[in-house]
Amino acid sequence: MTAILHVTELRKSYAGVHALDDVSLAIEAGSITGLIGPNGSGKSTAIDCISGFQKLDSGKVVLAGNDITGQPAHHIARAGLMRTFQTVRIYERLCLRDNLAIAAQQFDPATWVDEFLRTRRYRQAVDKAEVRARELVELIGLKRYWEIETGILSYGQKKLVALAAALMPHPKIVVLDEPVAGVNPTRIREIEVALAELNRAGETFLIVEHNVEFITNLCHRVIVLDQGKKLAEGTAKEIHSDPRVLEAYLGMTPEMAEAEMRGAA
Amino acid sequence: MKAAVALLAALAFAALPLMTSSNYIIGVGISALIFTVAAAALNLIYGFTGLLSFAQLGFWGIGGYVTALTVVTFGGNFWWGVLWAALINAVVALAIGYPTLRTNRHAFVIMTLTFALLVTLIARDWVDLTRGPLGIPNLPRPSAFGYHFATTGQYYWVAWAFSVAMLAFLYALCSSRIGRTLVAIKQNEPLVRAQGIAPMPYKLSAFAISAAVTGAAGGVFTFHLGIIDPLFLDFYYMQTFLIIVIIGGAGSFWGVIAAGIALSALPEALRFSADFRMIIYGVILVVAMFVMPTGVAGWLRERQLARMREQLR
Repeated sequence: MTAILHVTELRKSYAGVHALDDVSLAIEAGSITGLIGPNGSGKSTAIDCISGFQKLDSGKVVLAGNDITGQPAHHIARAGLMRTFQTVRIYERLCLRDNLAIAAQQFDPATWVDEFLRTRRYRQAVDKAEVRARELVELIGLKRYWEIETGILSYGQKKLVALAAALMPHPKIVVLDEPVAGVNPTRIREIEVALAELNRAGETFLIVEHNVEFITNLCHRVIVLDQGKKLAEGTAKEIHSDPRVLEAYLGMTPEMAEAEMRGAA
Repeated sequence: MKAAVALLAALAFAALPLMTSSNYIIGVGISALIFTVAAAALNLIYGFTGLLSFAQLGFWGIGGYVTALTVVTFGGNFWWGVLWAALINAVVALAIGYPTLRTNRHAFVIMTLTFALLVTLIARDWVDLTRGPLGIPNLPRPSAFGYHFATTGQYYWVAWAFSVAMLAFLYALCSSRIGRTLVAIKQNEPLVRAQGIAPMPYKLSAFAISAAVTGAAGGVFTFHLGIIDPLFLDFYYMQTFLIIVIIGGAGSFWGVIAAGIALSALPEALRFSADFRMIIYGVILVVAMFVMPTGVAGWLRERQLARMREQLR
């Protein structure tokens, strides 16, 4: 398998504190990778640096063969990396349809001249986006909210809208920042199923999340960060039995972890 | 439906000089049209893009002076003057917008306010160019194709045609994908960036277009007044544009148009009580803000949302 996203020796410090210290990752195309770690371990900083929302001190980020290191966020998005945010970000005063249409807008070839003249290129682009949007809305189960301002949705539903928006332009990789934090358990299960289905259809995900059960069920590989360093990497099972991880992150002994795993399954 | 109503309203406004011979009422009509255009331009940058710009006052003044000077000092005609007013304002907006829009929204407000004050100083103190507090009187009314728009009633058509053209342009812009993107930038700029859209060119274009339209409106208004002096940069104008946008509902195209017409006519409708007219006007504004803090359009929208919530329950 080939890696779609290559991150090499990422470093970032704030006022002398190493938020990231020599972190390297390789995400394979078509995989779901989990990025976990205790609070302040550098997970959010890592994805902010990768997606261009923070300047990195040194290191290299390559997406599908393109060096995107240090580029502004909108360039990185155009290169094919879409992300969501920890505190849910959607356009609350626009309807679901517009939320999804804007997400795809930059990725179609129609310019404002095309729009003004209503050229075929414009109409095709709009139709294509509409088809994709309806498909995704079906998947996240929010069909009845199609023309309704997204501000009135629940927190969990808003997270789903953010997820659908990130998927709109068929990105090469989708980075999800805590997709189920603050979401109620039944909906977590729904998100899990939806992500697995999207992954089977070929989408690649990098997921930052605290919910261990969610990560365990979903991820092919898990990377553990602690104090800005990569502590461990492997399958969910390997991670769960790694004593360093248990100590740093879960704060428990292997026996306790095993009991937890049985409970989760 | 909406288009039909807009067309009818535009035609009704065109007929005003046929219905009255009072220069006073026609003058109020011209003010209503021009103030509505300037308010719609402020709505583009403030209501849609979320950037509160006090620079509008400066653009309005520059527009007035550029048009007047084109005719009086540089020997051009009125139409070129209005065009120059638009162009020069667009360039000025790009020049001050490029550094200013990199700061945050609060700094933007302060810097645009400073710009407006600076223009006022220039109008007053650069006597060689602007003739200072004396102003430039006796601005000649324009003519086109051999027709001279000499009276206030005739000049009204110029203001009318200008306003309809500008509002049609702004409507096309606001209802396009560009307008939708501006709204998106106002609501959630980081998300816009995460979706591959660079906000800066959008903000800068909105600012420049807003400046150009405001400047041209200032030019047309100056020739209605027939004189320009530093009072043309009185804060009264900025305040009027802002009140129209806020009462109409920032971010609502039609709300602001309706408020522009209504609020320009209101002080005149209150003339039955000459002593208390401005007090009543003030009370109406305050009550409107209490009842509808997001403007008329915002209030209607809240009600619609409440109904939707009810249905979804």
